[in-house]
Amino acid sequence: MKRVLVADDAAFMRTSLRIMLERNGYEIVGEAENGIVAFDKYKEVSPDIVTMDITMPICDGIEAVRKIKEYDKNAKIIIISSMGQESFVREAVLAGAKGFIVKPFKEENVIEAIKKL
Amino acid sequence: MSKLLEKDILEYEEDTQKGKYLTFAIANEIYGIEIKYVTEIIGIQKITEIPEVPDYVKGIINLRGKIIPVIDVRLRFKKEPLEYNDRTCIVVVEIRDISLGLIVDSVSEVVSISETDIVLPPDSSTGFNNRYIKGIGKIGDEVKLLIDCDKLINDEETEMLVNIS
Amino acid sequence: MVDNTNHEPMVEMFVFETSQLMDELEETLINSEKESGFTSTIDEIFRIMHTVKGSAAMMMYDNISSLAHSIEDLFFYLREEQPDNVDASTVTDMVLDGVDFIKNEVSKIQNSIESDDSADELIEKINEFLKSLKEQNLNGNTKETSKTKTEDKQQYYIISKGASENTGNYRYEAHLKFTDGCEMENIRAFSVIHDLKEIGDVLYFYPENVIEDEKASKIIRNEGFKIEFQTDLNLEEVRDRLNHTLFLDKLEVYIKNDDFIEQFQNRETLKEKNEIILEDSEVEEKTPSENQDIVDKKELLDKTTKKSPVSKNITSGKQSVISVNIAKLDSLMDLVGELVISVAMVTQNPELKGLPLDNFYKAARQLNKITNELQDVVMSIRMVPLAATFHKMNRIVRDMSKKLNKSVELKIIGEETEVDKNIIERISDPLIHLIRNSIDHGIEEIEEREKKGKDPIGKLVLEAKNAGGDVWIIIKDDGRGLDKDKILSKARENGLIEKAEEELTDKEIYSFIFKPGFSTKENISEFSGRGVGMDIVMKNIETVGGTAYVDSKLDEGTTISIKFPLTLAIIDGITVKVGDSRYTIPTISIKESFKVKNEAIVEDENGNEMIMVRGEAYPILRLHKYYKINTEITDINDGIVVMVENDFRTYCIFADALLGEQQVVVKALPKYIESAKGIAGCTLLGDGNISLILDISKLMN
Repeated sequence: MKRVLVADDAAFMRTSLRIMLERNGYEIVGEAENGIVAFDKYKEVSPDIVTMDITMPICDGIEAVRKIKEYDKNAKIIIISSMGQESFVREAVLAGAKGFIVKPFKEENVIEAIKKL
Repeated sequence: MSKLLEKDILEYEEDTQKGKYLTFAIANEIYGIEIKYVTEIIGIQKITEIPEVPDYVKGIINLRGKIIPVIDVRLRFKKEPLEYNDRTCIVVVEIRDISLGLIVDSVSEVVSISETDIVLPPDSSTGFNNRYIKGIGKIGDEVKLLIDCDKLINDEETEMLVNIS
Repeated sequence: MVDNTNHEPMVEMFVFETSQLMDELEETLINSEKESGFTSTIDEIFRIMHTVKGSAAMMMYDNISSLAHSIEDLFFYLREEQPDNVDASTVTDMVLDGVDFIKNEVSKIQNSIESDDSADELIEKINEFLKSLKEQNLNGNTKETSKTKTEDKQQYYIISKGASENTGNYRYEAHLKFTDGCEMENIRAFSVIHDLKEIGDVLYFYPENVIEDEKASKIIRNEGFKIEFQTDLNLEEVRDRLNHTLFLDKLEVYIKNDDFIEQFQNRETLKEKNEIILEDSEVEEKTPSENQDIVDKKELLDKTTKKSPVSKNITSGKQSVISVNIAKLDSLMDLVGELVISVAMVTQNPELKGLPLDNFYKAARQLNKITNELQDVVMSIRMVPLAATFHKMNRIVRDMSKKLNKSVELKIIGEETEVDKNIIERISDPLIHLIRNSIDHGIEEIEEREKKGKDPIGKLVLEAKNAGGDVWIIIKDDGRGLDKDKILSKARENGLIEKAEEELTDKEIYSFIFKPGFSTKENISEFSGRGVGMDIVMKNIETVGGTAYVDSKLDEGTTISIKFPLTLAIIDGITVKVGDSRYTIPTISIKESFKVKNEAIVEDENGNEMIMVRGEAYPILRLHKYYKINTEITDINDGIVVMVENDFRTYCIFADALLGEQQVVVKALPKYIESAKGIAGCTLLGDGNISLILDISKLMN
């Protein structure tokens, strides 16, 4: 359960997550900067886990969660959100996200969360 | 590795080099330069002259593809020049990204000199006139003139001279 | 905070991305200001600030994060409420101040200096502005109130088929505690509820108002979350499932008996009035703000497709560009350079001299061909369009025009022209300086322009174009032009004139402004600084091998043209021998070479040697004399003459002999040595010798 797809429109966040995850033995099999790319990549690389940012242009994280869950009901998706995005997170949970992490986060939190999936 | 441990190790490594000097001879005097600045020692080789530089700047050499300027330390320290022979060496030093080759009569050994054995050089009133010496180290009966590498490479006077020429 | 030990790549990425976002933001702001309204760009500005807030918070740069947060809040308000009375100029100024702050801090971070400046004052200002904006719009805006009302009204309905039906064999009560600091505990609780619904029925939980009550999170933090549910799963399975909850600190699961169920049913009837439980997952309620999001996104998409090539390639949703670490490109360049030298060392090895090696030379030619292609491709990778640099000037023009009360319009032509990345970095500052100069001293104030019958709006043209092997950057203004007489007298004063004054062309007179120590400014303005500014500009330009030219017409304007060589590092050259030294002349500057007879030599009135070629006289530059080299070949009959030309004149170089033509990699002379006049760099020849590369422009001007 080690293959991860990272979706976030900020290159910085993608890099940060990549570094954290790779340091802990996870393999980043893809990166996406919006929901559409995330969905495409999911179909392409079939990751074990997806980290999904909520606010992305063109197609946001919640919509992406819906699409991916529709395609693969067992998809394991963790939402990355900012403070104050409670309603979005709630929607994401309803759409099928397994859990969420709030920014700014520490490496331990991310790893702990991912381990549980 | 925790940050603290890393820092300790770095300092230790620097410490083990601190106080180690490469000694070489110029006109019957022994000079020392901190080993941490020395990147290599090579025999004298073909030097390409460069026009319009001070007399002690002999030119440039090709060191495995890298172009390094060389200076004749005798001339730099205002001594009589000597013809190069097979004992003549070029000591390549590097400080803050600037590389420089020092042409010296011959290279001796690496010695350790602790801080306590180093005294400040006499001031110019005694006739001592070498601004590039930062201290005098004593080992047994012998004294070694310790060179201020930073000054040698980055001396403003040098820059001024070069600009004028 | 992210782990300490490997900070570097994240800092780099943060600096890179944030800088890029700030440039984008700056341009967007200035454009919005011009169309006097933010309508099409609010979302973009909001999102940029949101991103910066998040990234900065991750890196613990709280000053940047807080500032970004306050701007994000402002633009959130602008987006949601769309108030009518917003003063675009004020908002732009505030946000630009914010951009400046962030840029400054990021620059410090990039240089490993601590980012410790406080943005509190600016944050206060923005918050005050937002506050007053809200107050002003409190009465007029029905949109706002209706929005909040709909949020209040959103009801949530129990999905469970009715607890009283007693579905499921087992009843459990779970107590959960989440880890400290995991945030949004209420939503985590919601997540648990939602999850348990999939395996049975949820009967009761505390706190109850997980979604709406802000205090819910606090209660959960202090007392934990309690939930009672029915399911067919056994205890092990239930524990297992619940253990998968993220950020779970403590979990206790108890089995409930029938008595309790009865108690629960009683409780239920009591609570009928307060029926806010759960949202049905099948009811997809899009909040009004989300609809807004979609509309804005569509607009945003339309806008981005028209953007300059420099901006992110969002439209296709796929990436056709990648960002590469510049250090890798530098390594690649160096290696290609080494390769060219090595190839030369093989194919021109002195040991091969005289041997009949037809096949070898055939293969060598092929090797050269491939190496050339490789070199071309690598060069092209390092080429970057000038667009980004040029667009930065928009901000400069805007700020200066505002401050100096002048009206200036900047026109950018040829921004897609590409130059080597090295050059881009070097010319940015000189360009800024030159543009500031144009606006400060060139373009007149509005009244003065009108008096002269000129358009009150000054025109500043920034153009880039390719010509032969060079790139030209031209800055042209229609201001007051340069005063030839003033320049001449100042040059005279400062002893800068070497030729007879009558012989000086206009262009030569104007070019005095680039000489060090020259300044005709009576007042040293804040913007252009002292006269020394111009000669630093020149230095920067020359460092990358460029040359600057000035032309002007009084009252009509001034044009400054800068020429840069396209390919810096590898050139074709002919190497000559002078004594023991070797010199390489760039082939592109060579017209012809020949042996000379004494009869062709004449002297001009100053005693300078000239050579007659086909009826024309050209000055001779004897390298051995010029550089004081020892050589036996001093008689003009014995050596060789190479005729070269630069932008100003054609002249002849006298050397001992021609050694050959080859491609050479231009290496800079080591920093320790300041170049002699006329030396552009050095190179390693095939035989291991070092050859000095002549700068034909500077050798004789």
